[in-house]
Amino acid sequence: MSVRKSATASVRHLAALASTTARPTTERERERRRIAVLCLPFFALAIVAGFVPLAMLVRISLAEDTIWMAGWSLEAWETLATTPTYRRVAWNTLWFVGLATAVSVALGVAVAHVLEKYDLPAKRVVVAAVSFPIALPGIIVAYLIVVLLGRQGLVTNAVAVATGGAPLDLASATAITGLFLGYVYSLLPRATMVLRGTYAEINTQAEEAAHTLGASRWQTFYHVTLPEIRPGIVAAVILTFRSGLAIFGTVLILQSHRVVTLQIHEETSVGSYSPDVAAAIGLVYVAFIVAFTFVGLRFVDNDAVEI
Amino acid sequence: MSDVTLESLTKTYGDETAVDGIDLTIRDGEILGVVGPSGCGKTTTLRTIAGFETPTQGRVLFDEVDVTHVPPEERNVGLVFQSYALFDTMTVRENVAFGLKMQGVPKAERRERADDLLAMLDIAELADRRPTTLSGGQQQRVGLARALAIEPHVLLLDEPMTGLDAELKRRLRDEIGDLLADLEVTTLYVTHDQEEAMAMCDRIAVLSDGTLEQVGPPAEIYRRPATPFVANFIGSSTLLEGVAENGHVDLGFTELPVDAETDGAVRVAARPAAFELDEGQIAADVTDVTYLGDRTQLAATLPDDTTVTLHADGIDGYRVGDSIPLSIDEQRVHVLEAG
Repeated sequence: MSVRKSATASVRHLAALASTTARPTTERERERRRIAVLCLPFFALAIVAGFVPLAMLVRISLAEDTIWMAGWSLEAWETLATTPTYRRVAWNTLWFVGLATAVSVALGVAVAHVLEKYDLPAKRVVVAAVSFPIALPGIIVAYLIVVLLGRQGLVTNAVAVATGGAPLDLASATAITGLFLGYVYSLLPRATMVLRGTYAEINTQAEEAAHTLGASRWQTFYHVTLPEIRPGIVAAVILTFRSGLAIFGTVLILQSHRVVTLQIHEETSVGSYSPDVAAAIGLVYVAFIVAFTFVGLRFVDNDAVEI
Repeated sequence: MSDVTLESLTKTYGDETAVDGIDLTIRDGEILGVVGPSGCGKTTTLRTIAGFETPTQGRVLFDEVDVTHVPPEERNVGLVFQSYALFDTMTVRENVAFGLKMQGVPKAERRERADDLLAMLDIAELADRRPTTLSGGQQQRVGLARALAIEPHVLLLDEPMTGLDAELKRRLRDEIGDLLADLEVTTLYVTHDQEEAMAMCDRIAVLSDGTLEQVGPPAEIYRRPATPFVANFIGSSTLLEGVAENGHVDLGFTELPVDAETDGAVRVAARPAAFELDEGQIAADVTDVTYLGDRTQLAATLPDDTTVTLHADGIDGYRVGDSIPLSIDEQRVHVLEAG
């Protein structure tokens, strides 16, 4: 079949599909219409808020003019590829967010384990406390870090009193450790919420079976629980890592580590105004997120485990 | 293998008493069935032996060693679950070898022992499959092989046949019964299916409301129920009120020459087989007829208005409203104290 015939057949097939979806006569077609209706708002939003801005970013990254396509150039991409600063920012972002993700997911596993495995006296309070940071803007998280670890911070002064040190020397709010704490504080609830859902589906009798077979608590967790929650861990890593990459408010205030969001902000600020480079960074960022998500999701279904 | 002894075992949850002062011994190598209605405490008893519940009072002894506060992983107990509870992320062989791995058995040896058990249970060809690809009966065999692999002090089976179809249940019941008898594994078999317990167990313990009603061989439990509850729960019985005097029980509408230990008010437990239909002096009015294939079950009212359950061979021979003559075989009734 020629390409033209094939294309014609595809168009006819799509037209028939659209027609039966619009005027369904079978239950299957009615189901298809329900799916279309339910998904329509999302697709509309995805086009307006996703694809259109992405297309604009492509244009800005290639155009010399910021408004019109007045000629095109790969200069922004060349700058991005050849300037060591950008590679350093990328590396800074990856290791910092990667580490914050690892710590957040590890802590999330522990918190989800406690929440789902044990009867806690004030479980709702604990759940509210754990999920609370999701509602906090990054700027507020930064403020909390300053309140705790700044020169006048509670923790700083407590440590100063305990050790006899000077608060000025002990303050770490604007050091990388303070920022790291802020990241983990923001990311932990996301990891925990995903993992709680996974924990709720665990076969607790399989864990009991492992105990009767001589497995300690740790061995049971390693051999039985961990393989079962692995899809949840992968999902938590994907969600947490992507959320970590997007953190901006906290890093803007604390300014202790140059990550991609701060760099994009710099590129669009007065003084170092390079919107084409900012657009190129944004596109690399989006491409990376999409690739990372697809690769990550491949591991969700792969439940093989070495025994 | 071991004797397992429960001494005054009591387990409460807040105001609820799940198990109330049970004294029970599972003898070395025997299969003890535990039966009773839902909520009678049979699973709590099993979980206490396994170590998942700590008794509120009383002790659990394995060969006279107190294991009451020993954690499950140190008890060497094999547990087979109703829901199979297999490790879905492992192969069948890995499931069976898991306990041996926890014991530090070398890989080659645990593989060999796992394969031997799988062959014994006739599922050798499933060794490399995942549990999720197996049928219910196959999964239950894997669960049993996994529990037996560690050569447990005691094997605990928690309603292992529930959810299987009738034919498979019958086949598996025979196979598992023979296997456990051959291996002489001390076994506690919890089930709500009294027929299953009768077929598989050396002795049966009947629980009700957390207390032990009776323990004994299946035939004794069936023929000589110790309490009205056992008479009603194991098979179906009609309890007839009577007065015992000089080796006879006067039921009001007839007299039976039976062995009663004391004179006075008694209850006579009569199973359907104790009633002989179409002969005798007792007039019974048929109130319900249910065709069950191999027999017809009748409900009938005796002259004192007691409703009895009767079994008849005939098909379609009886109608609601019929008046039929009955007699009671005194060899097939059991006299209980009036309570």
